[in-house]
Amino acid sequence: MTSRELDHYADVQLLPGKAAVIKLVVLLAVLAVLPFVVPGYRIFTLNYMAIFVIVGLGMSILVGDTGQVSLGHAGFMAIGAYTSVLAMTELGAPFLIALPLAALVSAFFGFLLGLPALRLDGPYLAIATLGFGLAVTLIIGHGSFFGGHMGLVVPDASLGPLPLSGDISHYFLIVGITVVLAIAARNLGVTRVGRAFRAIRDSPIAAETMGVDVAYYKTLSFTVSAAFAGIAGSLLSLMNGFISPGVFSFTLSLMFLAMVVFGGLGSITGAVLGSLVMGYVNLRMDAVQEIPILGPALQNFSDAFMSPSGLPNVGWVLTGLMIMLTIMFEPRGLYGVWLRVEDAVRGLRRRGTRDDTAAGAG
Amino acid sequence: MLLQIVASGLSSGSIYALVALALVITYKTTEVPNFAQGEMAMFSAFIAYVLIVDYNVGFVVAFGAAIVFAFLLGIGFEGLFLRRTKNPTHLNLIIMTLGFQLALFGLAGWRWGADQRQFPFPVSASEVVRFGSVTVSTLSLATISIALVLMAAVFAFFRFTKLGVAMQATQQDPMAARINGVPVRAVVALTFGISSVIGLVAALLTAPLITLDPTLMWDPLLKGFAGAVLGGMNTPVGAVLGGYLLGVVENLFGAYISVEFKSAVAFLIIVIVLWFRPAGLFGRQPARKV
Amino acid sequence: MSFFSVRGLSKRFGGLDALDDVSFEVEKGSIFSVIGPNGSGKSTAFNCINGIYKPTVGTIHFEGEQISGLKPHRIARRGLARTFQNIELFATESTVDNLMLGRHQHMRTGLWRGMGMLGRTTRAAREEAENRAHVEQVMETLDLTAVRDRPVQELPYGTQKRVELGRALAMEPKLLLVDEPSAGMNPEERADIGDRLRSLRDDLGLTILLIEHHMQLAIDLADRVLALNFGKVIALGAPDEVRSHPEVIKAYLGDG
Repeated sequence: MTSRELDHYADVQLLPGKAAVIKLVVLLAVLAVLPFVVPGYRIFTLNYMAIFVIVGLGMSILVGDTGQVSLGHAGFMAIGAYTSVLAMTELGAPFLIALPLAALVSAFFGFLLGLPALRLDGPYLAIATLGFGLAVTLIIGHGSFFGGHMGLVVPDASLGPLPLSGDISHYFLIVGITVVLAIAARNLGVTRVGRAFRAIRDSPIAAETMGVDVAYYKTLSFTVSAAFAGIAGSLLSLMNGFISPGVFSFTLSLMFLAMVVFGGLGSITGAVLGSLVMGYVNLRMDAVQEIPILGPALQNFSDAFMSPSGLPNVGWVLTGLMIMLTIMFEPRGLYGVWLRVEDAVRGLRRRGTRDDTAAGAG
Repeated sequence: MLLQIVASGLSSGSIYALVALALVITYKTTEVPNFAQGEMAMFSAFIAYVLIVDYNVGFVVAFGAAIVFAFLLGIGFEGLFLRRTKNPTHLNLIIMTLGFQLALFGLAGWRWGADQRQFPFPVSASEVVRFGSVTVSTLSLATISIALVLMAAVFAFFRFTKLGVAMQATQQDPMAARINGVPVRAVVALTFGISSVIGLVAALLTAPLITLDPTLMWDPLLKGFAGAVLGGMNTPVGAVLGGYLLGVVENLFGAYISVEFKSAVAFLIIVIVLWFRPAGLFGRQPARKV
Repeated sequence: MSFFSVRGLSKRFGGLDALDDVSFEVEKGSIFSVIGPNGSGKSTAFNCINGIYKPTVGTIHFEGEQISGLKPHRIARRGLARTFQNIELFATESTVDNLMLGRHQHMRTGLWRGMGMLGRTTRAAREEAENRAHVEQVMETLDLTAVRDRPVQELPYGTQKRVELGRALAMEPKLLLVDEPSAGMNPEERADIGDRLRSLRDDLGLTILLIEHHMQLAIDLADRVLALNFGKVIALGAPDEVRSHPEVIKAYLGDG
């Protein structure tokens, strides 16, 4: 048996080989050019999708890797958004400070929620996080300091000398941060901490037995995941110019859970894909009628049999169905579908070579 | 004054208790809290509404039809969707119920819009009855009585009928039940059906108080969860008591401390109970074997 | 100072005495077997030793320091590893990653260094590479190299048991608790696992605490044997002594 010199780093390398480097360069180039190629009003959509991706990365760490349910992540996003805005209005902080502050404060609340989470499993944890999310909206909805139901206006922001106004400048900031966080999340997943998270998901007792301080890592998972949502909240406030409690509803938390499930729990690619899809659906729900072919059909159906103003709810129906179908048929989500496609392609290719060799031998 | 507050607390507590009961009986069987509970009840309530208002059906018949609908909805959800889950981990099943909830919510919103409707309930909320210093609306009275009767019926069913005992057995130990010839799958489906019906009653008792729209059961569902957590999610009696307790405490809080943050009581209770005694006041801590 | 000692260990669950006043000592570099019929408290004892349960009464000392009452991850850090009777592998992870969990306490990469692992010269990358090399060796000794990248839930039972053992060995323990290693194995596999355990003692100087239901294997491997029944010690001593002890025979055959 030949002894092979394994490149052990290759196991965890982000870019193992030239092909991967090229793919990344191409991706970055596309992202850089996109805002100049796409019609102006679509850039906001891209920004929105990117923000969903950031939350999705955080959810992937908590739900996908560590196996903890959260039905209250909209709460962390709200905390990030409000911290960011209040830091700018009340403390006069520049956005450069407001953003990390938002991450920190959200992380802190993530830590706080992580503490009771230590004793809770599955359904109880889900309920606790549900309560948390709703409590956050209740408090910011009623406190006059937070602008109550009317919400808060976001002051003009700048990144040092560069003004952050207009969708394009937002785009580069948001997408830039998204790419960095995606790489960070991916790296985290393949190293010691990520493994500890997944060990907790698969068998907390075995994890503890192997020296993993389950309490510490569970709490860490909540903290990191909340920080991601907080960053997304801060960036959302920048995008919208305005924040109000109505945005951060339970249904939004559900969407956040839905997107990592739909994309595929436990895989960064899945989380990104799911988030992009759900982000798009969530944003465009009000404009269902604009979808080519299907839109007007739904509109007609809606006018005939359903409530005239109810069409946007199709988005919820769609999301709900996506969740259910995913769980029922392909629990690995979009990523699972992608893997199946890969397998099928590989199978076809193999069959091709087998035919060749048979022909050659004959 | 205090009695008055307690009385209205018992009224709202009745609704919470019903929702809690509905949650707990399916939770005991599947170890999965049915988050779609509220939306299922809301949808069934809309069916009743449509029958009464659009088709001029009498209340009793509409009520009966809605019960059938709710029952079938519960069985259908369990049999067609929940059971078919490929990898039925707790997380996956919870997400299943969340998906169903979202889909039902969307469907209701799509079909009936966000318009707020007045549910034509035969018992009025404005007529009152006096018991000494306490004034109770006829609706409240009806709510408390109906809830108690229903709960008594459910408990009697579990205790004294063959089917009910089979359901209890399945809840306690599905494996043993199956070995003893209990048709576990049918029992689980039936549990969901019954749970759905209980939820429908809760929805119909809630609808006259507030307007009927797709968000009807959001608050009651949360309160039902809180009540179940408070009382103990693996004991139906405990959950019911938890629901009543929550109703009373919430009302006291609203009267003496703050009306605005009344709903916060439910969240607070959830957090406190789950922190100190996750099994609830009356529940038992499950042990895990390695 | 003994290497490992259990003194007066009792564990009560509600009204049930799972363990009652169990005491024994283990010499460094030896194999110590624990035998007894089902429900005699063997796994409970293991759970107490590695910290999953807290003893109701009694103490456990390892290398002169008390470990009873500590949380499992702290006990693991002292150099104690264990396998589980009902395989507690990280099902969706690959063989490599399962074993890499064994390296957890020997590694230091945390949140920030993990996220910032860009390039093979970073500390996180070097630590990964080093530890993977170590794990690679463990896999070779256990013939797991072929399945290194497969999710362990896809592996056959016997292989999974080897992964379970590999994980524990990856921890570089000083004391290894093995819970029913030959469960579900055929005679060849059983002989194989016996050889492996023996060589761990002989070549690596590992001290092994062994729960084994299969009497022959337990006796063959052991330097000393402890027999339990209903949570109590019924015999303790050299393998042949314990095996022919009347109480032990009675326990296994049942009374009347």
